[in-house]
Amino acid sequence: MAYDNMRKLHPSAKSVWMIKYAILTTVVALGVGAYEITQIFSSADRFFPVGTYTAVVLVLGALVTIAIPLLRYKYWRFTLMDEELFLERGILNRVRTVVPLRRIQHLDVSQDVLEREFDLGKLIVHTAGTRSADVVVPGLDYAEAEQFRDDLRNYITEDAL
Amino acid sequence: MASLSDFSAPRSLHPLTLVMQFLRSLPALLLLLAPTIIRGSAGETRLTLTFALMYAVITVPLIIIRYLRFRYWIEDDEIVVHSGVLTRRKRNIPVDRIQNIEIQQSLLPRLMGMAQVRLDTAGSTSSEGQLEYVSLKEAHTIRRIVREFQRAEQMQASLAQTGGRQGNKARAAAPLTPPPALSPEGLQAGTLHAADTGEGKATPTNEGDESSTPLLTMPPLRVVLMGAYRFSLLFIVLLLSATQYLQLDPEQLADLLFRGPLQDAATVIAESPWLYGSLVVFTAAVLSWLTGILTTFVRYYGFKLWLEGDKLQRKHGLLTLQEGTIPLKRVQTLILRSNPFMELRGWFRLELQTMGYDVDEQGYHVVVPFAQRNELLSIARNIRPLALPETFHSVSPITIRRHFVRYTVALLAIVIPLAQLWSTAWWGLGLVPFLGLFAYLHYRNHGYATTGNMLFIRRGVIRRYIFAVPLDKMQVFMNRASIFQRRLGLKSLSVDTAGSGSVAYPEIVDMPDAAADALLQTLHSRFQRYFRARKDEGAPSDLLDGAAAKAFATGKPEADPTAGATNASDEDTPVNHENGTQPTEPTPTEPTPPEAQAEPSSLSSTEK
Repeated sequence: MAYDNMRKLHPSAKSVWMIKYAILTTVVALGVGAYEITQIFSSADRFFPVGTYTAVVLVLGALVTIAIPLLRYKYWRFTLMDEELFLERGILNRVRTVVPLRRIQHLDVSQDVLEREFDLGKLIVHTAGTRSADVVVPGLDYAEAEQFRDDLRNYITEDAL
Repeated sequence: MASLSDFSAPRSLHPLTLVMQFLRSLPALLLLLAPTIIRGSAGETRLTLTFALMYAVITVPLIIIRYLRFRYWIEDDEIVVHSGVLTRRKRNIPVDRIQNIEIQQSLLPRLMGMAQVRLDTAGSTSSEGQLEYVSLKEAHTIRRIVREFQRAEQMQASLAQTGGRQGNKARAAAPLTPPPALSPEGLQAGTLHAADTGEGKATPTNEGDESSTPLLTMPPLRVVLMGAYRFSLLFIVLLLSATQYLQLDPEQLADLLFRGPLQDAATVIAESPWLYGSLVVFTAAVLSWLTGILTTFVRYYGFKLWLEGDKLQRKHGLLTLQEGTIPLKRVQTLILRSNPFMELRGWFRLELQTMGYDVDEQGYHVVVPFAQRNELLSIARNIRPLALPETFHSVSPITIRRHFVRYTVALLAIVIPLAQLWSTAWWGLGLVPFLGLFAYLHYRNHGYATTGNMLFIRRGVIRRYIFAVPLDKMQVFMNRASIFQRRLGLKSLSVDTAGSGSVAYPEIVDMPDAAADALLQTLHSRFQRYFRARKDEGAPSDLLDGAAAKAFATGKPEADPTAGATNASDEDTPVNHENGTQPTEPTPTEPTPPEAQAEPSSLSSTEK
């Protein structure tokens, strides 16, 4: 499958993902940290000094927060052709999906709080398929996502079964 | 017989439903009372009575009110169901959305002449409407009405089609006024009209389903034979629940074994663990074999499959009689199943995957439970032309290694921890060669082929599947490569269809990289060409026929994946064909004669 002019996602998508991972890391680190504080005065012998686990969580979290959004962004690409939507993504599992436009059942554009800050949106393409029924294109410029939705709308068929 | 006009006013369920619901609630009461019944001391009798009274005060009125609240009728083109005591529910089910009407008769309702009607609509995970219970006659009438309505509507659609052949879009846009609104006169007019046009399937067959020639009837002997190829582990559950139910004391059981009449046998067995082990295995095998026969017999007794218009009908069951309908155009993937024993004797089983969700069968409908290959294929011809390919392309042999490694890792993960506790477990490593054999068999049984308008995927060692995915039912095409696969230059390819299961689904695992890409490209461009051809043709039918089908009937599997690759490279930019939406699009470069012939014919049909 070779397509020229594959599109990349909006660069701000990286920031959104990073912030999400940072929040997740903070939550986990706070949880682990709280546990370690309760253990400060326990008499049991400690193998590691207090705070080790929190530090480990923070370091791993920082790595994930930086690496995963960068890698994910690097491998995410898509293109909208006359008859199909083609997506390629995945860090470990590299997946290529061809969604024939005639198979579209309905379309959604969604935006969460973070995405709103960056004026980004997700395009969600629903098909009648079962295992990959919803194809999501994240990190699009919101106006553009709506534009895609309107372009694709014409393809929604009455009966795609 | 009840006629349509009877259904325009709200109707309630069969009165004996009350009895059934009452009987059904009894197990709950028994459970409630179980402790006191078993102990049975005098003081607790009062408690039992209190419970029984409470039960009578709460449950029985609830059953009655629920019965009284339940109303259903047919209105215009909808079936309306009102139900619920505390939460009231009003449900309108458009008749043209009903995929499937199942009539089911469990043993007791069957004795009382009642049936359960389930109305399935597309995309629902459970039955949308359930009438529990109506008389059997009424169930059949409902089914007839729905079917006649759908048929009349279809006729209208096809009339509109022949009127102005303007392709799919125009057809979809044309106002699909459900021709004869479901008023009694309208319906009769509709059917009369249908009879006039003299379309073969127009004359409705009523409850006399039996009159149409069956595609398959299974005599009891064949059902038993079918059961003989199936193993069921249900007996374990049965044994467990039996011991629970009978309150068998394990000590008593041991007593019986070691001091009672079985003592001699018991001591012999105890002295030889090998004998003991093989005896257990043997007993389990025999029991599972017998339960396999039994459950199959109960389920598939009197199996009958017949075609009615464009719908498959089937009926089976010894105690619970099940009747089901499968609209042919809702059929997605065809699945041929077997196991090594069955395959050895040439037996297969055909399942259909449909959009309507059937809870009992994980979205699959068994239409031919057990038949010889040729018989099955000739039945399948009524559903869809199905030419099983003679040869399948293999996936990359590296898959043997990958599976061997995977199985071995799994075995080690079990054996090593177990061996820490019980050193005999190390013997489990003796299984490693068998894992190798299994991995090889996996490779041998995995393959794919494309013939014309179908993609065939074969997989499975013990449970063997052959998926036949029709081109016009494919939804999403996918290629996937895990980090390990990428290192070895492999890819997996899968095609998603509506209603496919999550346990066994069509996926080609570990194809060589280039072949996977080429196949994906080929499938997708064929898919697009098929629909383009169909659009030009303005074909109303969902089934493969006419030039659109011929355009893809290459008739034989492609020579090999590399040939597929060259094809694909010719069609690399499939969109170009679409640019001029003219029907005179250049013939795609696949040099197969049937296409070359088919193309002009499709042109001539559009020019008319």
